Amino acid sequence: MNTYYAANLLIYAGIDIIACLALNLQFGVSGIVNFSFIVFQAVGAYAAAILSLPPDTANGGFQHYVGGLQLPFPVPWIGGAIAGGLLAIPVGFVVLRKLRSDYQAIALLVLSVIANTVITNADKFLGGAAGLALVPPPLSDRIDPNTESYQYLYIGITAVAVVIAFAVVNRVVNSPYGRSLRAMREREIAAASIGKNPVNLKMTIFIVGGVIAGLSGAILVGFIQIWAPSVWLYPETIILFAAIIVGGRGNNIGAILGALLVPVGFEEVTRLLNSNPNIANLGPPNLISALQWVAIGLLILGFLWFRPQGVRPEPRRVFEGGPD
Amino acid sequence: MLVATDIHRHFEGMRAVDGVSIEVAPGKITGLIGPNGAGKSTFMAVLAGTLPATSGTIVFEGEDITHLPAYQRARRRLVRTFQLPSEFAQLTVLENLLVAAPSNRGDSLFGALRGKRYWDADEQRLIEEARGLLKRFGMSGKESDYAGTMSGGQKRLIEIMRALMLHPRLLLLDEPMSGVHPKIVEEIQYYLQDLRAGGLTILMVEHELHMVERLCDTVVVMAQGKVIGSGTMASLRRQQEIVDAYLVG
Repeated sequence: MNTYYAANLLIYAGIDIIACLALNLQFGVSGIVNFSFIVFQAVGAYAAAILSLPPDTANGGFQHYVGGLQLPFPVPWIGGAIAGGLLAIPVGFVVLRKLRSDYQAIALLVLSVIANTVITNADKFLGGAAGLALVPPPLSDRIDPNTESYQYLYIGITAVAVVIAFAVVNRVVNSPYGRSLRAMREREIAAASIGKNPVNLKMTIFIVGGVIAGLSGAILVGFIQIWAPSVWLYPETIILFAAIIVGGRGNNIGAILGALLVPVGFEEVTRLLNSNPNIANLGPPNLISALQWVAIGLLILGFLWFRPQGVRPEPRRVFEGGPD
Repeated sequence: MLVATDIHRHFEGMRAVDGVSIEVAPGKITGLIGPNGAGKSTFMAVLAGTLPATSGTIVFEGEDITHLPAYQRARRRLVRTFQLPSEFAQLTVLENLLVAAPSNRGDSLFGALRGKRYWDADEQRLIEEARGLLKRFGMSGKESDYAGTMSGGQKRLIEIMRALMLHPRLLLLDEPMSGVHPKIVEEIQYYLQDLRAGGLTILMVEHELHMVERLCDTVVVMAQGKVIGSGTMASLRRQQEIVDAYLVG
């Protein structure tokens, strides 16, 4: 396994872990079915891109976008995280206050489709369908990104981001506040009747999840150096939901496990199958890639049917001095 | 303690609660009885803020709470239980109690982010308080079990204990004996008398008239969304209209 392949795998794993931790906090712990999750990752990526790119007149003016502030690392990553959180405020305000939870899910799914369509067609705003290219990787003014040592550096800073995201989410989930979130997930009306403000709880977690999702987008765009509507279509959210369901809803370790098994694992298996000409040439073109979606659908159904609690179920909290 | 005046709650023209006015006296158990469909549970939901009133006013301890949402009424220690079991199924029995406690420093985002050291003292104090309640209600051995696995009667007890963790000034109980094993009915009755002796005010919807007679100081009778009488059970039994509407047999 060469360094670049390993770096690719580890950095994608880190990004997916961060995203799954955020989605687990929203969906697994708090019961918010955020079908527009990928939009928050996307806004983080776009924000990080336009904060780190030079003005669009650079590079011969072949692409158009707002911003182009050329700010140094870590400003674009912080900006990406803030953008994710800021987007959560108006979206949450519209969706989470009045709608019942099933309608919330539908509204968020529709938002994801609308956002992608708008960005695709607003070609002067964020590059339209072609997206943004030549996004400068973090610290590329100091270290050549085409070196092995840069790959290690990127793995390192991604790992730091994973640790921070895990620490934040873990503190929230394993606190009395996390208990209130789980109570809201179980019965919102009963939670309100004991003094919990469900709208406030949901808005807060929507924003916290948006910040973490935005950070994951910023890390991703810094690594792949391009960003376009085709990489954040709504089915990407479904893959992350599959990861949470498989890993174990409400369990942070389960979310990490799910991230490794589904987005990373499935992508790798598909890639490996496609790299074998005997398999890749079976049936019509792109059969293996299309079957990946079928497999993810079956995986979700299989787990919901046979093991709804996932590989690592939500832990039962036993307090010191009490019976097991 | 609580004065509800001319409360209406309509559902698309259907008058579930139609001009109900009641006063709940402090330190007493007030019963709310009536046939099915009388609007008792809807009225309780309106008092608790779970449903908004179409019109009317609710004053609790001198404050107009008519337009306050349920969570703000609970924070003023006006706490309800539900007609159907409403435990947090995937939380343990102890967690069901702890989650209701209003004074835990870890029960906010910033408190949680500051870490366990910041809120652990509160948590330990509340665990002790919750275990005291579990002992009093005979459920100590169940604290680590998921609430969703408990029997119907045990779920009722969990709800009452959960409400007590808020140190309520007024407790609204919606059919606390419904679907409960007779042995646990006796226990709940004992606990309610005990709570009243401790000064707690209770407004209770109940169908079991023997229970109402034994427990309640005052009884309000509702039928077709209206109050048709109030007083002690003995006085109500002497009113022919009420006997015809509800107390037959």
